[in-house]
Amino acid sequence: MDLLTGLFTTAFLAGGVLALAALGEVLAERVGVVNLGVEGLMAIGALTAIAAVAAIPSPTIGFLSALAVGALFGALFAFATVILRANQVLCGLALTLMGSGIASTIGRAYSGMPARATFAPIEVPLLSKIPVIGPAFFSQNILLYLIFIVLPVGLSYLMFRTRHGLNLRAVGENPAAADAAGIPVTLIRFAYVTAGSALAAGAGAYLTLTFVPSWSDGVVAGRGWIAVALVIFAGYRPIPAVLSGLLFGFITALGFVGQARGWPIAPAFLSMLPYLGTMAFIIVPVLAWQRMRRIMAAPAAIGVPYYRDLR
Amino acid sequence: MAGSLRLQRLPSASPGIVLAARAAAIVMALVFAGIILAMTGANPIELASEVVDASFGSSFGMEDLGVLIIPLILTGLSVAVAQQIGAWNIGAEGQFYAGAFAAAAVGLFVPGPPALILALMFVAGLVGGAVWILVPTLARAYGNVNELITTLLLNFVAILLVYFVATNAWRDKMANSATPRLSAEIPEFWGSIHWGLPIAILAALLVTGLLAFSRWGYEVRLVGSNPSAANYAGVPVRRHLITVMLLSGAIAGLAGMLEIAGTVHRLQGGISNNYGYLGIMVAVLARSSAVGVIFSAALMAFILNSGIILQTQGLTTSTVLAITGLILFLTAIGDELAHYRIARDKA
Repeated sequence: MDLLTGLFTTAFLAGGVLALAALGEVLAERVGVVNLGVEGLMAIGALTAIAAVAAIPSPTIGFLSALAVGALFGALFAFATVILRANQVLCGLALTLMGSGIASTIGRAYSGMPARATFAPIEVPLLSKIPVIGPAFFSQNILLYLIFIVLPVGLSYLMFRTRHGLNLRAVGENPAAADAAGIPVTLIRFAYVTAGSALAAGAGAYLTLTFVPSWSDGVVAGRGWIAVALVIFAGYRPIPAVLSGLLFGFITALGFVGQARGWPIAPAFLSMLPYLGTMAFIIVPVLAWQRMRRIMAAPAAIGVPYYRDLR
Repeated sequence: MAGSLRLQRLPSASPGIVLAARAAAIVMALVFAGIILAMTGANPIELASEVVDASFGSSFGMEDLGVLIIPLILTGLSVAVAQQIGAWNIGAEGQFYAGAFAAAAVGLFVPGPPALILALMFVAGLVGGAVWILVPTLARAYGNVNELITTLLLNFVAILLVYFVATNAWRDKMANSATPRLSAEIPEFWGSIHWGLPIAILAALLVTGLLAFSRWGYEVRLVGSNPSAANYAGVPVRRHLITVMLLSGAIAGLAGMLEIAGTVHRLQGGISNNYGYLGIMVAVLARSSAVGVIFSAALMAFILNSGIILQTQGLTTSTVLAITGLILFLTAIGDELAHYRIARDKA
């Protein structure tokens, strides 16, 4: 495999993890809830997938059980933040601490264990023969197509081209007005926060079923936080979220290729690239172009609990 | 006819109810952890008595607690200070490492009498922590970039940096994954408890005192509760934001300096038992009072120490993190529910 093909292949694998988690966060933030538990949900999902395929060697079952466990934790988070209206930042941090802590406690039994089943690459006829992009994108596992094509296009259509999408965006922008128009604010928030959490856990499963494929303590390594940052960078839209996930997959891949090829930079510094890159990408655009602020604006009611009785 | 009952949300909760809700949250979390332990076949009552015995039954146990309290007071204070101006410093973990890194650089490479070296390390720790939060601070102050994420991302960078120097350039030829022992160390005054403890307590009293009673502190709290009103009143919002965030970073950096100068004595990977993250819990529980910071740091030290004692039972510092997360979760819920009261409608 030549340099470029290797770079792109890894970029799609690593980027898929970030893209899926970022999509989940887009769902939550669009309805006005900041979910800072992504990092913890990913850890839970990553471990669930490994444990599930250790019992039943089917990657689909591994992935689906991660989605289910993610939805369960997501529902717990949504119950606290949407129904009880507790502080979203605190609950999100708590979810990250709980998820990471639980996963690494239980995960000790699976430490270093390779995944017993992984998603096998599928070669798309003809398209996989295209140089570079063929092996990098059209000879990948099935989830990759779900993450980079089906989900972003589907969610984008849902959000911006349907009545329901208008409703859910209204809930994130102005819940009181949405409520007055008869939109079930609490139900929509609860559903999308839960679904978004399931996707975050799915991103963790994707990490341990395709990209790394094994469990080790700290395997998520801040990817959940990078995903949260990418959502800001992507202006809270599904397709840009997936593309920026790919961009960061590329930055991660650069570090890997550098290590494999023995570039004269210490691996520790190459590992810093995704974190520093994320910092740069959320800071520079805002400082450089004032106009970006309006285009990239967050949903107006983000992070604010909605009290119907206090209008 | 009796009036019907209904729930009413008050704009602010009474401190007594909040305190009770928090106590309930902690008890519930510990009971829940006990139930989980029981399900894995352990006897939680036995474990609890083992923990209490090991923590308070001997002077060694008390010494361990005393040593763990030091970084927790400071990381808790760091988060609490930033909260006063409405900023989330989730990067205390990274600033802790940065402070330790800067202090170790002085301790390893600057020759001189120990007292002078310690003083220089003290300053280096403060500066290291402040430098580590500088970029997130400026980005927040001038571009309104969410500091919660930027401070957090730098944690990973700091940990990688410390790991790199400890296993490469500064490596002890004998130890492999740590630097040689530092030339100066903070003396101990009671068993293994060093003078870092009074320094940390003093720092907590000083900073919270300034916040509560000085003009500067009043302005900072004003910015924290309503930035536009503060701006309208002529308070230099941006300048206060920058100062307070840098102070927050410096305090966390000091925690790192005290840890390597007083407890660990060399720089290595994994010097922090998640102190930065546990500091968030300390700050939330403390509700920004100095006494609160010291008490909640003591509580978190006890929980962390329990996790360390129970390592033989399969617990780790990660388990402590999970239990801390559960306490934080229940505390957040309790804080919100404390706003409600049952009112009786006049029928």
